[in-house]
Amino acid sequence: MPEILRLAASEWADRASSLRSEGWVATDLCGLDRLGLVGDGARFEVVVQLLHMETRRRLTVHVAAEGDPPTVPSAVGVWPAVDFPEREAYDLVGIHFDGHPNLRRIMMPDEWEGHPLRKDYGVGKVPVEFRPQPFLQIDAPGQATTSVHAAREVDHLGQPVPGDDTPARRESNWSRSGAAEGEAQE
Amino acid sequence: MGGVSDAVGANFITVQLDKLVNWARKSSLWPATFGLACCAIEMMATTMPRHDLARFGMEAFRASPRQADLMIVAGRVAQKMAPVLRQIYDQMTEPKWVISMGVCASSGGVFNNYALVQGVDQIVPVDVYVPGCPPRPEMLMDGIMLLHERIKRGEYDARRVPTGA
Amino acid sequence: MTIEAERIVERFEQGGHGAFVESFDAREERMTINMGPVHPATHGVLRLLLELEGETVVRCEPIIGYLHTGMEKECEDQNWRGATTIVTRMDYLAPFFNELVYSLAVEELLECDVPPRGQYIRMLLCELNRLSSHMVWFGTQGLDMGAMSAMFYGFREREMILDFFEMVTGLRMNHQFIHPGGVWEDLPDGWDDALERILDVLPGRIAEYEDLLSYNPVFLERTKGVGVISRDEVLALAASGPIARAAGVDWDVRRDMPYDAYGELEFDVPVEDAGDVYARYQVRMVEMRESLRLLRQIADRMPDGDHKNMDPKLSPPPRPELNRSMEAVIHHFKLMTQGYTVPAGEAYRVVESPRGELGCYVVSDGGTSPYRVHVRDPSFVNLQSLPVMVEEGMIADLIASIASIDPVLGGVDR
Repeated sequence: MPEILRLAASEWADRASSLRSEGWVATDLCGLDRLGLVGDGARFEVVVQLLHMETRRRLTVHVAAEGDPPTVPSAVGVWPAVDFPEREAYDLVGIHFDGHPNLRRIMMPDEWEGHPLRKDYGVGKVPVEFRPQPFLQIDAPGQATTSVHAAREVDHLGQPVPGDDTPARRESNWSRSGAAEGEAQE
Repeated sequence: MGGVSDAVGANFITVQLDKLVNWARKSSLWPATFGLACCAIEMMATTMPRHDLARFGMEAFRASPRQADLMIVAGRVAQKMAPVLRQIYDQMTEPKWVISMGVCASSGGVFNNYALVQGVDQIVPVDVYVPGCPPRPEMLMDGIMLLHERIKRGEYDARRVPTGA
Repeated sequence: MTIEAERIVERFEQGGHGAFVESFDAREERMTINMGPVHPATHGVLRLLLELEGETVVRCEPIIGYLHTGMEKECEDQNWRGATTIVTRMDYLAPFFNELVYSLAVEELLECDVPPRGQYIRMLLCELNRLSSHMVWFGTQGLDMGAMSAMFYGFREREMILDFFEMVTGLRMNHQFIHPGGVWEDLPDGWDDALERILDVLPGRIAEYEDLLSYNPVFLERTKGVGVISRDEVLALAASGPIARAAGVDWDVRRDMPYDAYGELEFDVPVEDAGDVYARYQVRMVEMRESLRLLRQIADRMPDGDHKNMDPKLSPPPRPELNRSMEAVIHHFKLMTQGYTVPAGEAYRVVESPRGELGCYVVSDGGTSPYRVHVRDPSFVNLQSLPVMVEEGMIADLIASIASIDPVLGGVDR
């Protein structure tokens, strides 16, 4: 487990400056939605990863976001490195950063509604459908495929639906051009 | 067979003319640079000395879509990128073809979520789908050569026949 | 930052163009131009909003998100082993590093060890991946500056390394090979011969690259003094990797906070002071040579033993066991259907990827799938240093600077 420091939003601004003066560098910032986790505390937290190069230590700071919308003071004035990460936390988790000069969406399109990484936002899976599709097959070399009768229906297994003189599926792409040399279509 | 014989009527001269035009089209198909993600690296590797795409006349990747006739959509298409994709496709001049490279472009691939368009054929009509994650350069070349065969037969608007996709 | 018209005129006159400048009003010349997301020189779908005064870049704002794949959300939908397949596609030029950092974070939560052979195999694959990633960087750096041959040279060697990866993992990219507990399969027979061939050939080839570009007067003109970033700016912007080392920040996670078995190996970390494109070029070239040195040591010292932690609650038993033991079948079944559970908690681990510090923050709620996976991608943070490098420079220098940052938009957008 990393070294963890838990702060309230009101303490973050001063603490950030004092950490910076001690030599800590902010390397990462992300938002966390604690909806499914046990334990009390705010639902939304900002997790900041700090690094102290001289003593080779890492520190994880959890800043609890307060209010609705969840708000945390921005640390851009202390560490300019958190500019993009704060925008990402705003975009994907919905945490507002007081004092950020440019708090706009960064990953999603500007007009997107909702914050995808929240636990009450679904993954957005699209059900995959397998439908029989009319399959375009060349019967003879030189035949234009814009002519409608070249289309052949296939069923859900890809086998041609029986019709008059249905050509069978060819073995491979290459036998297609080989067969174009005048062999009988099977 | 191709544009001329469809327009004017198929006789010996127009069919031979069409064959010549189709052969010329397939022999120097210039792709537009549309590499998005991991498949773009494999697309770059296809143009590199090991699997040389220049032998098909295709090493000239045109940055301007107006100068290209093939768009190889290589990589996952995010929701934010979809209008850009359509804009590039619209700017290409006829005849144009689209190869959907990789499973993310063909169907959404490994990622079935809010952020990706599940298959680039939701946005542009696709001629050849090349599966793989990412497809080997040889697989991409197989897809390209399949497209060459279709071009030789004059199928530049085959995909406009509705296929129910 | 505004540029005074007089300064521009003065610069022109000093450069000998004074005769052609009659009058100059900077405000008339300011244009807002959009570069990307489809652009041959932006390394993927990066969009830059540029404010230009003539050829001079006054303001540069990177706009990203054109490759956002929702990977962090997707990981929450997979089990712990399956999330590797998602994470590996983030920084697609360095897939082993993504898998490694995720596996290290999960192993910290699991409190499980990785046997020495597993650690050495991981280091082997990662150092080879660093080489292949730097070769793509070399190719694109040259290509963006007009040295098209660099692309062909870089990718030629990369094919050798990708052949090795295919021999070991089965895939050229996006391998899904490094999992929590070790690596998925052991190295096949003949791996040491293949590695020997790579190690024999590559030093000479890297020397060829240096002949091609390092002392080329055109390359030097285009890269020295271009895209300068100072040490303080690097620390403020948390730029890491070659960008930091080229500006004088002596930090390499492999040496300073070692993971796997890097503590047992000897290697140097190149540091330059100039902070310009050429310094980053030099740092990466030396890093390639140091990777070869590391690979030689790994090849010599590869230990025997298990390649992964064989605890049956974590890794599926070897297949022959499934014929003999009922417990093995049950463990295999549970692992393949449900997956293993990871104790609740959080972990943050960092590795040194070719682009900088790659970190993975994992939160577990005690279940079979991750609660939150956040990957700290180096390119995402490094892109913030682009405006600092390019403002008050020319557009051509902007291209050189982007290439020297070596962003991979898959990691930036995730």
